[in-house]
Amino acid sequence: MSVPPLDVAKAWPSIELEHGRQLFRAQFSSDGRWIAAGGQDKLVHLWELEKDGKKALVGHDTWVSSLVFHPKEKKLFTADYLGVIHCWGYEKGDDPLWTIAEADRDNVRALVVTADGKYLISAGDDAVIKVWKTSDGKQVTELNGHEECIFSLALSPDGNHLVSGDLYGIIRQWSIGEWKEVRQLDAKLLHTRKENFIADVGGVRSLAFSFDGKLLAVGGMKEAKSNAFCPGKPTVLIFDWVSGKVKNELGIKGKSDGPFNALRFLEDGILAGHTEILHSASELTFWKVDQPEPIHSLKNGSGYDLSLHPDNRQLLVPTYVTGGSSGNGGRGKTPENYLTNTSVLRIFSLFEQPDEKKEG
Amino acid sequence: MLGALGGLAGFGSLLHPSIAKQIKEKKKQVCLIWLDGGISQYESWHPLPESKFAGPFRSIKTSIPGIHFSELMPNTAKIAHKISVIRTMATKDPNHSTGVPRMQRGDPLDRGVDYPYLGSAVAKLLGPADPELPPYVWIKPGNGGFIHREAGFLDARYGALALGDGRPPVHIHRPDGVTAELDAARNALRQKANERFRAYRNTSDIDAYETSYDMARQLMARKDIFDDEKLDPKDRERYGTHPLGRHVLQARQLLEAGVRFVKVNSYHWDTHGDNFNMSQRLVPQADQPFAALINDLDDRGMLDDTLVVMMSEFGRTPLINSRLGRDHWPDCWSIALAGCGIKRGAIIGDTTKDGAFVNGEGYDVGHLFHTIFSVLGIQSHRQKYRHKGQKLAIAHDDCEPIKEVML
Repeated sequence: MSVPPLDVAKAWPSIELEHGRQLFRAQFSSDGRWIAAGGQDKLVHLWELEKDGKKALVGHDTWVSSLVFHPKEKKLFTADYLGVIHCWGYEKGDDPLWTIAEADRDNVRALVVTADGKYLISAGDDAVIKVWKTSDGKQVTELNGHEECIFSLALSPDGNHLVSGDLYGIIRQWSIGEWKEVRQLDAKLLHTRKENFIADVGGVRSLAFSFDGKLLAVGGMKEAKSNAFCPGKPTVLIFDWVSGKVKNELGIKGKSDGPFNALRFLEDGILAGHTEILHSASELTFWKVDQPEPIHSLKNGSGYDLSLHPDNRQLLVPTYVTGGSSGNGGRGKTPENYLTNTSVLRIFSLFEQPDEKKEG
Repeated sequence: MLGALGGLAGFGSLLHPSIAKQIKEKKKQVCLIWLDGGISQYESWHPLPESKFAGPFRSIKTSIPGIHFSELMPNTAKIAHKISVIRTMATKDPNHSTGVPRMQRGDPLDRGVDYPYLGSAVAKLLGPADPELPPYVWIKPGNGGFIHREAGFLDARYGALALGDGRPPVHIHRPDGVTAELDAARNALRQKANERFRAYRNTSDIDAYETSYDMARQLMARKDIFDDEKLDPKDRERYGTHPLGRHVLQARQLLEAGVRFVKVNSYHWDTHGDNFNMSQRLVPQADQPFAALINDLDDRGMLDDTLVVMMSEFGRTPLINSRLGRDHWPDCWSIALAGCGIKRGAIIGDTTKDGAFVNGEGYDVGHLFHTIFSVLGIQSHRQKYRHKGQKLAIAHDDCEPIKEVML
């Protein structure tokens, strides 16, 4: 079957998987047959798309904070807010293959697996990057340098470098294999600490390389107005990878007050990003990165992650859905009708909707 | 410490009961730590990790068997046996603009007046603990000054002397070129001018002006209170170098010096967005100085006479919103009290399993004010304010003290 041409201006939500609790992370498996997701309910949820099957893996004692599939093997790595990483052979068996009990002091906020599949790399609250063998979870090394918690990791497409982004807006580049720091990039625009704040706000919340490795997109928000609501202007900085200089700064046209939690490059140099907003609709945004204005956006609830299907034509977003009780105060709510907020895993097809689907 | 009274302590049994009571009342002091915007009960006093509304943080054991706090409060968890926590506050008002004054004024029945904030009420009802010091000092970020609005319908002199960023009032130090005699003459001239001015104008405003001046003069005589050089560096470390830590440490110094009521404000707790990242950074800023203050007051033998309250205008929603924040929740939330007639280790309140709602009635601010006044030795139902010939209740007529947390 031929692949339809990429056309983000005609993207449409083709699949919706509803879930009764809030999900913050969701990824396609490397063969595109599975989706794994995690969030508030401590479970690792798996959907087998072609068979319409679903199962949940039990192992985390708190919210699932990060997950990533192995690029070659049937392994899934999941992490949580208590510093635990599990490796699952998700197609067979429901118990972890191995577990790292203390991968971080607290929250493991980011996981990546190197392209050769040998190394799992984790980072989070303790500001130390740790490298583990994917085969058995044994630690290979750790990378020190960040002074505050690390929110995001990404691997260069050539497989040679890792980048890590922290709360202060510092991005560090590391060599894979030698495990040495190569240089730092400045994304401090994405960090705010005003005189009357009692906490730092923002940070490098997302990182993504272009397919050719020439650009690095760095997401977050700038100009936070307080450390309470934490409202700011969602912002993407596009770095030229060779020079390490910012080439462009991207924003959105619509309303949003939260950071870009997720970025993904598509074909044709198009970048996709998703942000969040308080009690309103957010948007999935697309840019040609040499233009500051988006080329297209789609209304969506707040989104916390983005995953691109191996066919390069489907984009997965774990999306917030209100349970109808959000906002201040109980306003007559009772234990019986005060419902949790929920999620939908929304898959956007990045091409024109076929006529039969439109009619359907 | 109240040195002048300390010498009488051993003779309490020889004194006339009414005098002994007066002396005891004189010793009562209060520290109110106000976390403006609303600390999340799930990320502090009532974590409920198995609740569908729980955050991601650990629940840790406290010094009371079977009682858990959030891992973000490790210091307070160790002194849980010294404090009380009410987990079933149900306070009706979900708005900052009305919730803050309601929670600090106690919300007596509406009789068409602006009731005083708690510090002003205590300053009026108990007077200064040390006549040489202002009765009500408010340590807050930002600007300072004399905030007479806190006094409500009371005379403006019961307002708060605010120390902006914990700094002493400006001009606390008499310039070198002004001798004590010259300064006294200056003040006499000022007072004379005020008397003349007072004859034709609203006396409350003049009272406020004079009070602020008098307080500045009082503090000039006690400028040692503001001498940071005297602080033990270990104390600074224990309380924390962040604003709330520094300000609670200063509150301890003011209490030790004999100030009747000290309020310490911290702002920016209104975590509608990024609640979990923010709580991770904010809650320890309250935990550290709160526990240090309780321990220090206890070690100094002051805790039994000093009431410490840590609270906000409401808690935060069980539901987690689209920005991973929590909104305002007055329906079921937590406050902490310690010292001065408050039980040690009473963690009370029956909530639904998920912590979202109170089982039963819960406690409103009227109950809290009756409790606070009662442990300070103020008869909260019998004692009244007098205002323009009208007797006014000092706390809500229909509420009672919360006996579960009182000795």
